[in-house]
Amino acid sequence: MNNTQKTVLKPAGSEHANVGKTLRAYSMVIALVVIAVLFHFLTDGLIFTAMNLTNLILQNSYVVLLILGMLPVILTGNVDLSVGSVLAFVGAVAAILQVNYGMGVVPTLLISLIVGIAIGAWQGMWIAYFDIPAFLVTLSSELVFRGLTQVVLGGASIGPFSPAFRTMASSFLIPDEVSAGTVMSITMIIAVVACVLFVASQVLERRNKVAHGVPVGSPVGMIVRCVLLSAAILALSYLMGQYKGYPTVLVIMLVLSLIYSFICSRTIFGRGLYAIGGNRKAAALSGVKDRLYFFMAYTNMGFMCAVAALVYAARLNAATPKAGVNFELDAIAACYVGGASVSGGGGTIAGALVGCFVIGILNNGMSMMGISADWQQVVKGLVILIAVAFDLLPKRKKK
Amino acid sequence: MKKVIAIALALVMLLGLCACAASGDKKTNDEPAASTDGKKTIGILMPTKEQTIWSIQGDRLTTAFEDAGYATAIEYAEDDSAKQAMQIENMITKGVDALVIVAVDCAALTDACEKAKDAGIYVIAEDRLITNTEAVDYYITFDLTRMGELQGQYIVDQLDLENQDGPFTLEIFSGSQDDTNATFFYEGAMNKLQPYIDSGKLVVKSGQTSYTQTAIQSWDSSKAQSRMDNLLSGYYADDHLDAVLVAADCLALGVISSLETMGYGTSDNPYPIITGQDAELAAVKNIKDGKQSMTAFLDANALCEIIVPVVNDVFAGKEPTSTTTYNNGVKDVPASTYDPYLIDKDNVQYLVEVGFYTDAEVNG
Repeated sequence: MNNTQKTVLKPAGSEHANVGKTLRAYSMVIALVVIAVLFHFLTDGLIFTAMNLTNLILQNSYVVLLILGMLPVILTGNVDLSVGSVLAFVGAVAAILQVNYGMGVVPTLLISLIVGIAIGAWQGMWIAYFDIPAFLVTLSSELVFRGLTQVVLGGASIGPFSPAFRTMASSFLIPDEVSAGTVMSITMIIAVVACVLFVASQVLERRNKVAHGVPVGSPVGMIVRCVLLSAAILALSYLMGQYKGYPTVLVIMLVLSLIYSFICSRTIFGRGLYAIGGNRKAAALSGVKDRLYFFMAYTNMGFMCAVAALVYAARLNAATPKAGVNFELDAIAACYVGGASVSGGGGTIAGALVGCFVIGILNNGMSMMGISADWQQVVKGLVILIAVAFDLLPKRKKK
Repeated sequence: MKKVIAIALALVMLLGLCACAASGDKKTNDEPAASTDGKKTIGILMPTKEQTIWSIQGDRLTTAFEDAGYATAIEYAEDDSAKQAMQIENMITKGVDALVIVAVDCAALTDACEKAKDAGIYVIAEDRLITNTEAVDYYITFDLTRMGELQGQYIVDQLDLENQDGPFTLEIFSGSQDDTNATFFYEGAMNKLQPYIDSGKLVVKSGQTSYTQTAIQSWDSSKAQSRMDNLLSGYYADDHLDAVLVAADCLALGVISSLETMGYGTSDNPYPIITGQDAELAAVKNIKDGKQSMTAFLDANALCEIIVPVVNDVFAGKEPTSTTTYNNGVKDVPASTYDPYLIDKDNVQYLVEVGFYTDAEVNG
């Protein structure tokens, strides 16, 4: 907090200091690129292949979805430990409805989402209106819903889902029947449109800031950002176009990520979450409805758990009693690796997504290399620590 | 006001829960009180309810022992070895006469078993041999290596490796490294497959053939799915995968989902041969749909046929018969084994005949 105030108060800093600041802001992105390139060579070029890129997205889809629920919760200065169990429970409910009662896809989706929201609201109620510590409420739910999952499933895996249900997790934006050339051209057209939109949004934002007299610094940073991100979008799209184009899950993930990123950074509700995490009393005194915000954050977590549960169950094509074990830790780790503050009030959706893919590429790369599961855990644990240290230590020196 | 509401809510919850729990637990709660008079009590300790095999075995053992005139008490440990040790201690306090234990962690029950021994309780290890203690009296298991051999031999037979030149592609998915049984499955299967890998008829394109390279932590379906995704994109982009040696059904579930996503399962891109074990319902359905090739099924009835006479002999003061011994690091434990039962497309109905599943479950 102190740091940012100082920099804002300082009259436009020297160009050199600015570059350093920008580099640090992107340190985790750099780490992501380094890790990806490193594994690309370690696996003899298997990471950046069309098919593997698609895998990476599908394998991490549920973590991304959970992050969209977890980050708002972390912003308030709490965590949610029940995520894995709630995910398993909603998946189990969906499986029962689909497989045992033969219910259609749409009613199944709706009921599952409502169940997720209800569970979130249940937790939010205890946390926000009865002041029970969030850690305890979510710990309770972790036990309750793991238990209920076993009750619902009767200890067995239930599957398979109907093909229509599966399309959610396994289909691609462009149908299979289309020729490879068309897939590539449609994919690249979408990619170019995305790049144009991104650049336009950056330019508009800058103009807006200038219009309101906010200091903006040199445009070099913005141009570099636009060029690099556009290049990344085009390159990754080109790779995916070589296979089957964008997976449907990627579209779901991106649309939701953009919405949540907007909510967190641009709306009164989002800013309120940051304010509560920074200092709850101060926020409440300045008119932030802290209880309602807590309630909403957890209700939303329940909703995202349900979305993730549906994608996860559809991907595995079965609901299993062990689904989701330790997913809360995956989501929490991704947020922290992506720069979220442990005490609340700091962190961004974009950062958490980067954190998610840092861990995702580690998993993917080590699995490709045939490193055994025990050593994978050791390496993952150490890399998470090093990645966060790499991110935080330079900031600490500045003090 | 809020406090009142909170307390009221909590009370309503508790009442509701008790009502639910009571209806579920009636059977187990009544038994000890009603049946300890004169009857010997058998304590049954199962690792987890989350795997069908243990909940079914728990039910079958309970029925078999009760039919033989014993009282029973059963506990599931949720895959937590500390909890299981505690459950054993509680059973000792309750005064059971014999224990049948499927250990969560084979090495972590030394202390609990020794307490049981001191209390004069007969300890039978089932399925997983409790290691490093004198306090195990008997061991009953299906033949672990045979299970692996059954899976390996199935691949050999289906690909007709003796007569075909191949080469056929193969990938391997082993069990969790913290489960000692997983090594036996792997070794059994490799007994059958290694000669063909050496002769080049079977090719593992990823080069990942060792036990540690192919092990899937915690028998986790989604980890198996991710690994299969990675193998397919890394090594089979232009090649068809012909067979997958999969240690268990829960892993096969993930492997099949991955193959399905990658476009397998059509007439010109058929599923590889996929093995499994446990006869989980989801796997049985996959076998019926032609997605999974086989599973091996531990007939709980076969287990009961061995275990009840052992207990009878013990209480009659006789030495129970055994067919072999297993060394647990401290002593040779007398043991009996039973063979796993192979299920594939042709004999799925057998599961209904022995009452493992109802007809509606399998064919519905």
